[in-house]
Amino acid sequence: MTTITMDNADTHSGITNAKLGVWLFLASEVMLFATLFTTYIVLRMGATSWPWGWDALNVPLATLNTAILISSSVTIVMAYAKAYDKNVGGFRFWMLMTLLLSFGFLVVKAFEYGHEFALGIGPSTSVFYAVYFTMTGLHGIHIIGGIIVNSALLYMSYCQEDWEHPLFLGRVEGAGLYWHFVDIVWIFLFPALYLL
Amino acid sequence: MAKSNDARAHDDHRPDVRKYMLVFGALLVLTCVTVVISKFHLPRPQAITLGLLVAVVKAGLVAAVFMHLWGEQKLVHKVLYVVAFFAAILILPLLDLRMVVSRITERMPVADQHPDEGAAPEAKPEAAPAPAPASAPAPKPAKKRAKSAPKNG
Amino acid sequence: MSHDSHGHGGHHELSFARKYVFSVDHKVIGLQYMITSMIFLLFGFGLMLLMRWQLAFPGQAIPFIGRLFPADLAPNGVMSGEFYNTLGAMHGTIMVFLGVVPLAVGAYGNYIMPLQIGAPDMAFPRLNMMSYWVFLPGGLLMLGSFLMPGGAAQSGWTSYPPLSIINPGQTVWILAMVLLITSSLLGAINFIVTTINLRAPGMTLDRLPVFCWAQFVTAILLLLAFPPLEAAAILQLMDRVAHTSFYMPKDLIILGTHYAGSGGGQPLLWQHLFWFLAHPEVYVLVLPPMGIVSEIIANNTRKPLHGYKTMVVSMLFLGVMSFLVWAHHMFLSGMSPALGNFFLVTTMIISVPSVAILTCLIFSLKGASIRYNVPMLFALAFLPLFGIGGLTGLPLGLTVTDIYLHDTYYVIGHFHFVVVTGSIIALLGGTYYWFPKWFGRRMNDKLGLIHFWGSVICMCGIFLPMFPMGLAGASRRLYDPTAQMHNMGVQGLNVVSTYFAYGLALFQLPYIWNFFHSMFRGEKSVENPWQATTLEWACPSPPPHGNFEKTPRVYRGPYEYSVPGRKTDYWPQSDPA
Repeated sequence: MTTITMDNADTHSGITNAKLGVWLFLASEVMLFATLFTTYIVLRMGATSWPWGWDALNVPLATLNTAILISSSVTIVMAYAKAYDKNVGGFRFWMLMTLLLSFGFLVVKAFEYGHEFALGIGPSTSVFYAVYFTMTGLHGIHIIGGIIVNSALLYMSYCQEDWEHPLFLGRVEGAGLYWHFVDIVWIFLFPALYLL
Repeated sequence: MAKSNDARAHDDHRPDVRKYMLVFGALLVLTCVTVVISKFHLPRPQAITLGLLVAVVKAGLVAAVFMHLWGEQKLVHKVLYVVAFFAAILILPLLDLRMVVSRITERMPVADQHPDEGAAPEAKPEAAPAPAPASAPAPKPAKKRAKSAPKNG
Repeated sequence: MSHDSHGHGGHHELSFARKYVFSVDHKVIGLQYMITSMIFLLFGFGLMLLMRWQLAFPGQAIPFIGRLFPADLAPNGVMSGEFYNTLGAMHGTIMVFLGVVPLAVGAYGNYIMPLQIGAPDMAFPRLNMMSYWVFLPGGLLMLGSFLMPGGAAQSGWTSYPPLSIINPGQTVWILAMVLLITSSLLGAINFIVTTINLRAPGMTLDRLPVFCWAQFVTAILLLLAFPPLEAAAILQLMDRVAHTSFYMPKDLIILGTHYAGSGGGQPLLWQHLFWFLAHPEVYVLVLPPMGIVSEIIANNTRKPLHGYKTMVVSMLFLGVMSFLVWAHHMFLSGMSPALGNFFLVTTMIISVPSVAILTCLIFSLKGASIRYNVPMLFALAFLPLFGIGGLTGLPLGLTVTDIYLHDTYYVIGHFHFVVVTGSIIALLGGTYYWFPKWFGRRMNDKLGLIHFWGSVICMCGIFLPMFPMGLAGASRRLYDPTAQMHNMGVQGLNVVSTYFAYGLALFQLPYIWNFFHSMFRGEKSVENPWQATTLEWACPSPPPHGNFEKTPRVYRGPYEYSVPGRKTDYWPQSDPA
């Protein structure tokens, strides 16, 4: 019995199932974060006072984190480049770098949170901190999700069958798309919460 | 004829490492720029506009270059236009534009000034519980941010 | 060409678990959704039967089972106000999120759509399986909330803060909703990619059956409208668990004491975010059933649907507009009147595509050679009854009249007409229509007729009285209708509704029997018992794994019935001749 391969032939749109699927997923994530940003704007507009980022949060640490995340976006796109050229060693190196940077981001974040908790500051302290903890927390959960996906890809690169699968490059690209999206969210989140 | 899934078939996604590095550099520079600007205690509307502008440029670079949107198939662009449209529908009514516009045309000094400068902020009249969430008018750039909120450049 | 690894074509036999429990076959998953959602529907129906007793005979002990309830819910078998509220909130939640949508989209969509486009399965079979296995725990958690301390949610399916922040049961409700939303999102991605990418050769978009268009638009609605609710629900969860104040305003006094939160939140924000989803959600409830009715009518009128292009464009337009009308649920919330005017206009506009679709379906009957079989009866009943539902929505969409009618029984009558005599009638009809496809057997026609007439009459009997009740000013969500003096004149109508509700319950028994009995003992069916043109009938009934022996090739539109000069009155889409 002949079967059409799922991710392959007869793609009417010219875009693979996986790529289209990832972009649609990102579309839903855009709506999710748009809601949170809207909530932030609405609550801030209705507030009698709103602290300045520099006073309430640790801007230098967050700037470091921004640099870390941007770097991880570069390393993951380098991993894609190596996978494109079928360079398994290069792919593993750059994906590992991405993972290390991702962990670094979480570690810095943990420092930030720890410092705030030590001062007795939490989400219930004020609407500002409610927004801050919720949005960075949700963003952090997305980072963890990305770490899981990227780790899985790194692991798969050690299995001959997976590495040589024609769909593997597409998976790397999809993971990269997701990761860049998480980076973009932070690009907006950082100034919104910390700098304004 | 089945289109090959292998990305090598579309050379428009052939990785260009030089481009990636250029964008990396630009992103780091822009990050420094935005942090430095924020130190300057600009009035909130201007601060928000500039911050948003820089963020949009950074996000645009990531989207266009790293996410391969530049030169991507039209369908993906269409998906993003649709999302941008619906995200705008979500955001705009919630901000109750009339309030924002009337706020721009009247000068209301309180929230425009940085807390360090100017007189101690007067207590804004507590917004009546009933009206829309955007009961207190926003500084102009908030509207701009709202319109450009969609993440994908 | 590499095969996706889900073992087919007899290469290796799958274990029972892989074949029937954790199957990646869209047909098995569709049936899983069907049985699960129908059980949930029955449960939600049961909740309503309890409520109806209280409404007709307030203060009287529930017969037979009254004493079985714990004393805090129904002391001496008499329903307490909190229990009534719980029943109301859970009835709504279960019917919408656990019943109708999983049935319309997860069951019908999953099973039929890939067949109608000539695909061997969904684009992401494993994701499909995950969707179901996230849905089921979500549903069980939602039901399980009844057994948790404090009981199930009792703040309306709409969960408005501040009440929903301080009321019991809401946390589990939110967690269950997160699971259900995730399941929907995964499914939506699957549906959209499948429709775009997996159509058989020759299946251009203008040859797509209306049912597939309906599912496609529905998937887009789910994809884009659910995330805001997910975000809003997370914020509500934070308010409850982390004591943030996203929705809690400053200086809130509850039962004499100051609410101990930071304040600064806005209750209206939740309403906007909730209804941003919940309005497109009602079109999710209605579009697939419209698709089902379209298929049944085209087939049983033996002529092409009137206005295929109009119907498709209307559905697309409806999808877009559905995002622009949400605050017509909030006319009385105190939001700015200008905003109200905006939503009034968009709400009036959205009635146009709905009417267009219904009109096309009605015009399809003109000059038709109508076959009055059981599915067709359901489809025909849909037309006027959904029409009543739609028309009664007009006074609600007009701000001025809504001031009077909001939160009265008129609203309940309106939305039950569209969902029950609309969506559910269509879904039931679809069962009779596609049963031969699923099980290779036909359902019993006599039982079908009893089910049909009994259901339609009882449904009308339940919901028609609600319009005069609402006009008399009877409030909804009120556990003792006699507490309002102006209700006394229409209290008799509550009794009428209740009797018809119990009648409706009785008339489902022949259906349930028919369904399960016919599955095993029903009259065996031929491959295409309805002489239909669409692709799902061009494969065995039931279809094997992979559906089509050879990839079908499509040569014509979906409703080529009674083509002049042809011997048979139907010309299947994949017939080469």
